[in-house]
Amino acid sequence: MPERQQRVQALYEIALTIGGKETLTETADAALAGYLRKLNCSVGGIFRATETGYTPTATIPADPAGNALLSAGIERLAELSSDGFPSHTEPTAGDHCYLFSLPDFGALVIGKQGGEIDTATRSALTPLNEKLAEACRNKLVERQLREQRNRFEAVFDAIPEPVADTVVEDGTEEIIASNAEFERTFGDTDETPGTAMVPEITDTGESTQHSRPIDTDDGDHRITTETSCETVDGTEEFLFHGVPVAGDQADEYIHLYVDITDQKRRADELRRYERLVENLPIGVYRTTPGPDGEFKLVNQGLVDILEADSKAYFENRSVSEIYADPDERAAFSDRLLEEGTVDNVELQFETADGNQIWGEVSGIVTETDDGPVFELALQDITARKERDQQLDVLNRVLRHNLRNALNVIDGNAAMLNAAIEDDELQSHVKRIERRVSNLEALSEKAVTVRSLFDQGRSTTTACDIQALLMRVSNELEECHPDARVVVDAPEQSLYVNADVRLKMALAELVNNAVVHNNRSTPEVTLTTETVTRDGEQAVEIVITDNGPGIPKHERKAIESGEETPLQHGTGLGLWLVYWAMSLLGGDIHINDADPGTRIALRLPQAGGDAQSQPDGGTGVAVNSGD
Amino acid sequence: MKLAYSSATGDALRNELTSLATQEHVRGLLVLATPSVDITTDDFETTLRSMSVPVCGGLFPQVIVDGEPRASGVLAIGLPTAPTVTVVSELSEADDDLDATLPAEGSEAAFVFVDAHADANGVGSLIDALFRTYSVGLSVVGGGAGRLDGGDEPCLFTGDGVIKDAAVMVTIDQPIGIGVRHGWNEVAGPFRVTDADGGMIRELDGEPACEVYQEAIETNTDTTLHREDFFETATAHPFGISRLDGEPIVRDPFAVDGDAISCFGPVPEGEFVTVLAGDPDSLIGAAEQAAETALTEEPITDSAGTLCVFDCISRQLYLDEIFEREVAAINDDGWPMVGALTIGEIANDGTGHLDYYNKTAVVAAVSDSA
Repeated sequence: MPERQQRVQALYEIALTIGGKETLTETADAALAGYLRKLNCSVGGIFRATETGYTPTATIPADPAGNALLSAGIERLAELSSDGFPSHTEPTAGDHCYLFSLPDFGALVIGKQGGEIDTATRSALTPLNEKLAEACRNKLVERQLREQRNRFEAVFDAIPEPVADTVVEDGTEEIIASNAEFERTFGDTDETPGTAMVPEITDTGESTQHSRPIDTDDGDHRITTETSCETVDGTEEFLFHGVPVAGDQADEYIHLYVDITDQKRRADELRRYERLVENLPIGVYRTTPGPDGEFKLVNQGLVDILEADSKAYFENRSVSEIYADPDERAAFSDRLLEEGTVDNVELQFETADGNQIWGEVSGIVTETDDGPVFELALQDITARKERDQQLDVLNRVLRHNLRNALNVIDGNAAMLNAAIEDDELQSHVKRIERRVSNLEALSEKAVTVRSLFDQGRSTTTACDIQALLMRVSNELEECHPDARVVVDAPEQSLYVNADVRLKMALAELVNNAVVHNNRSTPEVTLTTETVTRDGEQAVEIVITDNGPGIPKHERKAIESGEETPLQHGTGLGLWLVYWAMSLLGGDIHINDADPGTRIALRLPQAGGDAQSQPDGGTGVAVNSGD
Repeated sequence: MKLAYSSATGDALRNELTSLATQEHVRGLLVLATPSVDITTDDFETTLRSMSVPVCGGLFPQVIVDGEPRASGVLAIGLPTAPTVTVVSELSEADDDLDATLPAEGSEAAFVFVDAHADANGVGSLIDALFRTYSVGLSVVGGGAGRLDGGDEPCLFTGDGVIKDAAVMVTIDQPIGIGVRHGWNEVAGPFRVTDADGGMIRELDGEPACEVYQEAIETNTDTTLHREDFFETATAHPFGISRLDGEPIVRDPFAVDGDAISCFGPVPEGEFVTVLAGDPDSLIGAAEQAAETALTEEPITDSAGTLCVFDCISRQLYLDEIFEREVAAINDDGWPMVGALTIGEIANDGTGHLDYYNKTAVVAAVSDSA
């Protein structure tokens, strides 16, 4: 065969090996093998030009470092400028290496051991090299696009919300790709979930498919709307975003479904809470701090308490203006800022009608993007304050006016008793003196009762029950030598959270058990035991007597917690016990005994190792009822 | 290299192979069997498994022992360095992933044998993978194993047993010189292969391949092609795939099916083929030239060793009685000559491209010293 024909044929066959492969590496591999086979060469490589030099795309052999001829070619390539192609090197006699440019891609290196490639063939390779460069460039672009697509698909799958790629054809929208979360949420489906999105996407007119308004941009058909969709777990609420994909396929869209079921549920819950707050009979409001303060939110309760026409009353009005003394607002603001929270602060306010009222304010400081704000609750306590005033007056009447009058009566009765000799008249005077004495005692007890409430509902002291019972027992026996008091308490001390009011209650009960006893030797037994009360440890103090028992109407008044004109006690003794226990967080149980009465007082137990520490291990002071 | 030839079977064969394997300086066995040996028997497999050194080989139409072709018996070649044996299974399904299964570089040379009846594309993939991986860094010789009339029988084996539709590769550390020549000359063409798959050519220049082939032969030679004796005629007129600066690569047509011609080895669609013809002198001269090339390569000159010849069985069929002249032309008095008559040959000559040939004489001068 003529040499020229053979060359043309070989070049044609090399051309067949260029292109048609899946990847850049496969394309380069196949073409390089074709070059070497048809040119009867032994080594070679296709290299891509990068900013840092040439990187191999394909080489034969796979490890070029092991072949001296190819290594020499690569070294030459590294030194070659872009206008230095084609180039040739002969590192050892008879071994030739040829370097060709692959325009806009890189270079082709071919090595032939023991021979040369003739000049005509080398020249004829130029169009093949350009074809190879084009094929490599195309595959490189394809690879970059593939990598971009892979990245996109990775992102697509990594999105934690359902995402679908859809195409609209002939008015029908079909899913062509979706991420794993989409299939997990909606199952394996070709149809878009929820109400059809096609009308919204393809029409620029108003939507009638959704109850919620749709944010659309008529220019690019993007839509955002809330929609209900059937999922594998049932009907759920989603915020739907439909975005058109820019490109040749004008009717391709990306659908994103954000599950807002929980969000909507929380929003509904929040609305219910808002309604609840709005309708509370107390004032709930939010203000800025400071001596004046600005209303940020008020509820209807505050409007009602402050006798305003509407919430508008609070607009452009400083908070200090609702204070009876505006200076108190500054003090309150400073205190709340310092303490972070306040409870039951009693303040005087002035209503829109100019009436002064008492309010009890509780609140906290909350941090917002705009700085701290006060979240406050105001309760109208005007009526309670007025009752407190009435009690104060009555207390004064009992303690002062009534006792003064009784002293006068008692003194006059004593003089009368001394002046008359008639026995019957003297018995009348004695009866007056006894009644006066009872009234004085009642007046004293009323003062004592009043003092119970002065100390409030909480106590910070732990009381040693054993020591308390011994003290009460000793004091009673001193006053009533003929009475017998037995204390049957365990040696190991028990502690309860209580103060002197417990001793007052016990003394009242033990004293009543003796005073109202009709036996020659009144007997009172005091015992203790630990019990469970509402799931917590408690101490039960039991007072048992051998008396006639408590009258039924007295017990009923205590057990029901109220007196009526037809159902009332004869004094304040049992009420004193009832209120003391209530204020200390305890309760009272009255039962018949045989003979007598069994009264149990139950109080929360303080720390178990309290006896080993001065403060009872509870961080509170320890006492024995004083 | 230590050699042993035996026409024994069973225990006797096992004893002879064991005897060779246990000789000093024998680290592995290259075993070339002829069709007289039933390699599919349990007995033969037991023999393979019983060897104390790595074993690798195949069954070939004939073997060459002491410079003479033998149609029976077993030739065993003791390899002086421990070989690495690699098996490529399911060769017909082989693809570009083959590269990863090949052993790392480091050896001087390798004998590679393929199942000649495996799919031609698979054989092509293996050859491509070998060249991509090693290029001329590894001198490769070998050929296609199997029976001329066979098809599906196992024809390769290692110490683990016999296999089919596979390739075996054994690397050695001895340098070798390789000569590859065939002596066939172009008589017609070129013809563009317009429809082909693997080794099957359906169309040449857009016409039925068999018609084009027949016309080329009958126009350019005195021969008449008859379908009924296609193999006999085709033996004298192979195809040639041309390459620059080298003998064309021969493809041996062995069967016709309708208008399609089947060849040993792949014929890529789009390439050009010529029709070749030869004469005894040119073929024998080429074989002699191959031997000279092998013996005069740089690492081999002035050293002692063994000539391993892989000559195509179709050359023997073509040359018939005068094939002994070709063997004699290759034979060098100073070098023991062993080898096989193969169905297709594999070689690179240390400078050029690795290829799968037909109707070619491949001579490897294997040095005794590593």
